[in-house]
Amino acid sequence: MGQEEDLELYRSRLLESLDSHASRCLRGVSDPIQVYVNERRVGELEGAGIGAMLQVQCIDHIDTVQLRTEEGTLLGGLVAPEHGFRTDRLRLSADTIELCVHNTSQGGTLSALFMPAPSFWSRAWKSIAEAADRLVARRPDTALVYGMRMVAFTQALLAIAVVGLVADRVTTWMTAERTPSPVIQTASLPAAPPAGTTRLEQQLDEVARIQTKIGEALASQQNGIVQLHQAVAKLSSTQESVVSSVVMVKEEVKEELEKRLEAVGRETDRTTRHVASKGRVEQEQLEAAIHSLTADNDRLSKEVAGLEEHNQALKTKLQAANASKAVDPNPDRLLARQNDPGRQPLQLADSLQGSQQQPFLFWVTFSDGTSQESIDQWVNGMKGHKGAVNEGWQEVRIVPPPVPPDRFLEQIRGEKIVKAARISQ
Amino acid sequence: MPVTRMQTMVSKSQTMSDRTATASRLEEVVSTPDEFDQVVLQALPMLLDRAAGSTKRFLRETGQWNDDIEHEKFALRWGSEYLERFLVCGRTEVPCRPLFLFDSLVAKQHSKPEPFCYHPDLLRPLGRFLDGLAARAVISRDALIALYHHAYGWSPGEVIAVTGLNGVESQRIYKNFRRWRESGWQRTMDEMGLTKVELAELGNQQQRHRQRFNSEAERLIRVAQTHYRKSEPNHYPCLSRSQWGEMFTQGYGCDYRIWHLALCLDCMQTAWGLGSNGSTIGEKPRLELQVRP
Repeated sequence: MGQEEDLELYRSRLLESLDSHASRCLRGVSDPIQVYVNERRVGELEGAGIGAMLQVQCIDHIDTVQLRTEEGTLLGGLVAPEHGFRTDRLRLSADTIELCVHNTSQGGTLSALFMPAPSFWSRAWKSIAEAADRLVARRPDTALVYGMRMVAFTQALLAIAVVGLVADRVTTWMTAERTPSPVIQTASLPAAPPAGTTRLEQQLDEVARIQTKIGEALASQQNGIVQLHQAVAKLSSTQESVVSSVVMVKEEVKEELEKRLEAVGRETDRTTRHVASKGRVEQEQLEAAIHSLTADNDRLSKEVAGLEEHNQALKTKLQAANASKAVDPNPDRLLARQNDPGRQPLQLADSLQGSQQQPFLFWVTFSDGTSQESIDQWVNGMKGHKGAVNEGWQEVRIVPPPVPPDRFLEQIRGEKIVKAARISQ
Repeated sequence: MPVTRMQTMVSKSQTMSDRTATASRLEEVVSTPDEFDQVVLQALPMLLDRAAGSTKRFLRETGQWNDDIEHEKFALRWGSEYLERFLVCGRTEVPCRPLFLFDSLVAKQHSKPEPFCYHPDLLRPLGRFLDGLAARAVISRDALIALYHHAYGWSPGEVIAVTGLNGVESQRIYKNFRRWRESGWQRTMDEMGLTKVELAELGNQQQRHRQRFNSEAERLIRVAQTHYRKSEPNHYPCLSRSQWGEMFTQGYGCDYRIWHLALCLDCMQTAWGLGSNGSTIGEKPRLELQVRP
């Protein structure tokens, strides 16, 4: 039972503390304000400083910002978004602290600016100076100019009145110094001339009038200042809202731009990758074609060289035959040779036939699902022979076709079961 | 008797209906900071119970719960901490639904690796006292400076000498001490739920078995300091004597010295004598716990 009471007492004490926290401000005027980011202390703002500023850059995102007194009382704070800006203006009595958090993928930055409450006169002069600046900066509003003139006139009037009052008082004091003591004065009053009393009354009336005027002037000046304050407050709130909207719009535009840039980047990447892969394929095909052409070229040049050699040999034989004919003493043998007219052409023809009868070699791949039987049938149909298989390419030897190789390959490629064909390996 | 019972029942049902109305108001959208304050301040008891309930659940789920008053107080204390942060930060989140925002804030706290310093021995009066001092030192400079007094029994002048502070900083130390004596200490004891009886008992223990009391306090304060030192700026690690010496000689890192040495018994021993230009010749400081400010 005692424990329950103890617990209840503790709970109500905590609640009291929380409740009073909401309505108190315990900060001394000159005490620094402790700044915490993500519940770690990062520095302090000079409480008495004019425009004291603290800037913090973190590697991590800034999650929370807290401002505390040296006693530990939580004065204010904010929760920041994962990305982007969050600004807040905290009022501590009359002072203001402006917090601005910016989180990016690289981390977060915090800037805290302490703005102490300005004094009444500095505010008034500031307002007037700002109004004057604005008047200089742009075409003045007639009403405002009139108001300003009124204020200036009232101030001048007030100054004159004060000077008059002071002069009057000084005169009165000096007169009083010359007059006898109050007792004597009282005694001598009936003897004072009535003209002096009248003058004194007039002076009193005058002073009263001046005082009334001063009062009116002061009231009108205060009214003017109040109106000015209201105008300035409205203006500053409008400015704040404009600034915040500008920040928001900037942020939105930035986000939109980032999104678009990302989208464009992705699209460009995809296109580039596609083009690059297509280019690679085409390059490979081209290289294969060049390779096959080179091989064909080599083969042809070898064949040409062989034929030239053969030709050379035939020429040599012919020359030798002519020479032997020229020197051969046996006319019968010569005659016999002459009687064998087809012999030399026959030899030439033999050599040509030999070169023609070299098998024509090509490589072919077949469409998926083509049976071995169909392949054999197709090869037999061409009176060819199958050779080695290398990486899916089937070597086929046939009797040299009557058409040029390229045309022959085109014909082959037109076959239903053929997927691709080429001459070189 | 039946009339009293009836009155109690009526009062209970009234309370229930009030709570329901408050809860439903908290679930609605608030649009301005003032509206937020108004709604939340009316619901403080309910929110405190809610936060304490969440903390209790977290402790149960992590196997750290026991059905006793110490654990109940622990849950209430952290519930109150969360609620204080919510009161200040929540108003910058408008428009929002306060109840859901509060739940998310508590959940976010509990999703951290070590949301609070839990150790069964820190729930007993001595542990609570030390935990309270260290926890407060993290958020209050007054409490931080007061730690030097509570741990070693030093006066403001001794703190200034040990930490090697200059004139301006020295003035602040005196101010910190004054405020701590005036209100800080009592406030911390209240927030830790330490009663006058418990504090008196701590004083008695200290007088009866000083050595045992101090060695137990040293063991527990190390647990608390290790946890709360994580709240230091993360560029304040422990240093070697030569590094501390350089800092003291060249006069930089005032904050570093004040923060770290208050929260690290080992570094205090390492840096002993550097602050007063070697004039303090004596035994290295040992923990001499002071209960009163």
